[in-house]
Amino acid sequence: MIKEILKNITGKKQAIRFPGGSAVSPEDAAKIPALQEGMGKVFRRSLRIRQVDGGSCNACEWECTALTNPVYDVERFGIGFVASPRHADALLVTGPVSRQMELALRKTYLATPEPRLVIALGDCAVDGGIYKGSYAVTDGVANVIPVDCFIPGCPPSPAEIIAGVLRLLEELARRK
Amino acid sequence: MMNNEHYRELGGREFRDHCISLCRSGFTLRLMFATDERENEGCFKIYVVFSETGKDSFQIPFLKLKGDDLSYHGLTPDIPAVHWYEREIHDMFGLTPEGHPDLRRLVFHDSFPGDSYPLRKDWKISEAELREWGEGLVRKEPYHFMEVKGEGVYEIPVGPVHAGIIEPGHFRFSAVGETIFFLEPRLFYTHKGTEKLFEGFGFSEGVRLAERVSGTSSFSHGTAYCMAVERMSGTDIPEKAKAIRTLLLELERLYNHVGDIGNMCAGTGLAVGYAAGALIKEKLMQLNERVSGSRYLRGVNVIGGVTKDIFQYADDILTTLETATGDYKAFMKLLLGAISHVERLENAGQLSREIAMKLGVTGVAARASGVNDDIRKAHPHLLYDRLEFEPHTTTRGDVFARMMVRAEEAECSISMIHALLERNYGRELAAEVKDVSPHACALGYTESPRGSLFYWVKSDAEGRPLRVKLRSPSYCNWPAVPFAVHGNIVPDFPLCNKSFNLSYSGCDM
Ligand code: SF4
Repeated sequence: MIKEILKNITGKKQAIRFPGGSAVSPEDAAKIPALQEGMGKVFRRSLRIRQVDGGSCNACEWECTALTNPVYDVERFGIGFVASPRHADALLVTGPVSRQMELALRKTYLATPEPRLVIALGDCAVDGGIYKGSYAVTDGVANVIPVDCFIPGCPPSPAEIIAGVLRLLEELARRK
Repeated sequence: MMNNEHYRELGGREFRDHCISLCRSGFTLRLMFATDERENEGCFKIYVVFSETGKDSFQIPFLKLKGDDLSYHGLTPDIPAVHWYEREIHDMFGLTPEGHPDLRRLVFHDSFPGDSYPLRKDWKISEAELREWGEGLVRKEPYHFMEVKGEGVYEIPVGPVHAGIIEPGHFRFSAVGETIFFLEPRLFYTHKGTEKLFEGFGFSEGVRLAERVSGTSSFSHGTAYCMAVERMSGTDIPEKAKAIRTLLLELERLYNHVGDIGNMCAGTGLAVGYAAGALIKEKLMQLNERVSGSRYLRGVNVIGGVTKDIFQYADDILTTLETATGDYKAFMKLLLGAISHVERLENAGQLSREIAMKLGVTGVAARASGVNDDIRKAHPHLLYDRLEFEPHTTTRGDVFARMMVRAEEAECSISMIHALLERNYGRELAAEVKDVSPHACALGYTESPRGSLFYWVKSDAEGRPLRVKLRSPSYCNWPAVPFAVHGNIVPDFPLCNKSFNLSYSGCDM
């Protein structure tokens, strides 16, 4: 056991293996170590995310939950989900933002310290998805709060979410 | 296909008396809904669907409301299980149940205009009203939470944005010390106008929407919806499609039950159990993706059958199940051996059989409280009449019971999948869909992982959707949660809540 741990600490090998058949191509997965570098530069190795459900069907949330399971385990990249917006660097918003969640989302956004990022996750969050045009939704997160990054998919798989966050990091590194 | 739906029109008083007598003679209330048929028949209609005990038959009395008097004798005082339905119909259609003890708005929150009923065909709303609704600053119809008064009682408001990665809802606890004296949930934050949206879609496009009502029950929703449309149009689906649907329903149940048992560990702080459950669930979801192209089994169902031959992956399913079964057994052994875990589950969140019956609770929660009800048995559909299984019930009614019912059902699903894969079912995947005739209607139903799930569809004069009613199991079970948590301590609420594992999106529609 101790040996294993030591090996993990000193070894350079990345413990990344995505499931076969996942929609993210192997090249994307190969870029993941870059995620770690990006994390080091932009967020000092720690990105704290507060997930907000803007009226999703719940599949998008389950994919976020899956990010913390032993297969994807995003904690190892320094990405973690926190309990309060006040502890968060980024909001990860799912769902088309139902009108009855609009106010709560705004308040959550205001409670997040600046600088803050907003990631819109899933087709619904991008533009309302299948719910687009319904009287009870606002057709996407960007209609309620400013969005920095869109991750489409219905739902995006955990691997796609990681790839999406990677894109955001690249973008931020470029902006710097 | 045998028609098991028996519609019967009844006048005001008679309607009420009939419903009450059905209920008294042990029929199970399934759902209640309204339609706006003023264009064709000049009336609103209210339907109540009951299941006959021990017989595959639905009794569906309905009532017509004509003219200006849009009220009727409410059923709630005699049949408590309809209390939400009547409030919902009031919100959506503006039909008033007289004698209802609590007619506060259910679906719409304070900033939604009064006298505005979205499911009426002539409903309109202005942009300004919609904007104000979203902003939530003007309280047009203030909602008053129930208040508990007395020495030492204090309120804890929680949500809609919670600490974990879960759906939004507001919970207001009235606690005495650590003990929950009363809980009032305020839901419908995720209301997306789904039923109205269905009316704008064609019947066949509706499948995609049905699959997106509640993420982890995607396949059940798709199946029940397709079944309703197929029954309405008189389409018989091929044997093979039935087998594939049955198989995927059981795969869906399996990944949900295993995942739910794992999630309960998050409620007791048993991290290793949580991780083990999540791992098995992940393996099953990856299997879903390999066989169907979607981790949530979406895109397989179409009206008339299925699009993919899942049986070509029989080997993959069998090998994955074999490892999953091994992992699962070890997982259950771990959980049942963890005294600190089991002790927290025992006697927590107790729901009595009496209350479960009165509120029309369904699914795992009902069976864990001794209500022997399972749509797969009560109304055999697809290939369920050929599979051997017994509904698992226990009378304990606590969190532990809900875990054990899931555990037994998960094993049962595995053996059903094996039994299904043993046989041959021909090659045809989908039948040709017959045109939907005008003014036709039908029920579709199945037992989703959370419990009984119903769709009711009706076509208009052109054969397009006039009304699509969906009734998710969570809608029946939410009202029971406050009863189950009464007398528990506040820190046990997440655990009790997880043991029900209800969908907000499915309930809020
Ligand atoms: S994008 Fe798809 S999976 Fe995500 S909330 Fe919307 S319907 Fe559900």
